[in-house]
Amino acid sequence: MELSDWELVQRCQEGEVAAFQELVARYHRKVFMVVLGILNHREDAMDVTQETFFRAYRNIKGFKGGSAFYTWLYRIAVNLSIDFQRRQKRAPVEFKETMDDLIDKGEGTELANHPFTDLQSKELGERLLAAIDELTPDHKAVIVMRAIEGLSYRDIGHILGCSEGTVMSRLHYARKKLQEKLGPYL
Amino acid sequence: MKIDCEAIKSSLGAWLDGELSHPEAEQIRVHVQECPACFGEKEQLERLQASLKGALEARASRLAFEPFWDGVHRRILEKSPWRERLWDWVRPAIYPQRLAWAIPVVIVFLLGIISLEQFFPGWRWGSSRSNATTVDSIDGHGLNVAVFRESKTKTTVIWLFENQEDEDESSGESAPTDSSF
Repeated sequence: MELSDWELVQRCQEGEVAAFQELVARYHRKVFMVVLGILNHREDAMDVTQETFFRAYRNIKGFKGGSAFYTWLYRIAVNLSIDFQRRQKRAPVEFKETMDDLIDKGEGTELANHPFTDLQSKELGERLLAAIDELTPDHKAVIVMRAIEGLSYRDIGHILGCSEGTVMSRLHYARKKLQEKLGPYL
Repeated sequence: MKIDCEAIKSSLGAWLDGELSHPEAEQIRVHVQECPACFGEKEQLERLQASLKGALEARASRLAFEPFWDGVHRRILEKSPWRERLWDWVRPAIYPQRLAWAIPVVIVFLLGIISLEQFFPGWRWGSSRSNATTVDSIDGHGLNVAVFRESKTKTTVIWLFENQEDEDESSGESAPTDSSF
């Protein structure tokens, strides 16, 4: 029987690294997507996501289960990503790869099987990610978390340390900006 | 009540996210069914959401678990610097969005500092405290002693003088402030 997140957390708190490995396996991809959406740079996103799990492991004894484990994890990830981006302040160069580039590098097999692979969708996706990169880190964080995880405004507010109203207004602003930039492609 | 398209458009995102109350959601659902412009806006928002999710999922699908876990595990095995632990501990309190508590605390602190001098008249703030100058005098029978202390230059001057019965009060008070000290 599969253990719940909380059961795995309790095992981690007793020092069981294998339990933490299971939590990493469950959430590494989703956390990576959130971080990648904010940073728009693959290597940096990889580094920040690994750091997120490391910080989570180091502080897991302080996690009391008052919120879901993944919201706690996202909070660490978003804080680290925003800090990282404010320190870097550089123009990301990621998302310029084409499908052919990925297949040439031997990385495209899994991607080619993904439903999101037709040319038009891919082009829209790349334009969208480039447009998101022009938003502030706080706006990126809300739109990415909502899109990937479908988190409620309450959870997003809890992660970002702001009210549900602020989440709603940030989402509205971010979507409006993206619509303005991508109007003809949507 | 008929609501206009602008009001509907501003709530479409929250409606699609399922964050509106039932009556509000129902009002928007009915309007969107009847209004081609708002229906188009709704479709656009849905494509936006789906495209973003799809683009990020496509990128993340290349992320292999084993090398990722190796990176995390390596960090766990390395000893963490104390500065990072301290930062992790302090960070939640000083995160800009949660700094609202700091303003009243700073105001109360400053008010406290200002009123301290009223409650403790001898108390001095900052440099005046470290640069205290005192003059003490002892009245004796025919011989008086005045002690001048200045802490900045660590100077102590002891002044012995005979009692002058005929000296008026004002000149006696002006003595400690004489520039010769």
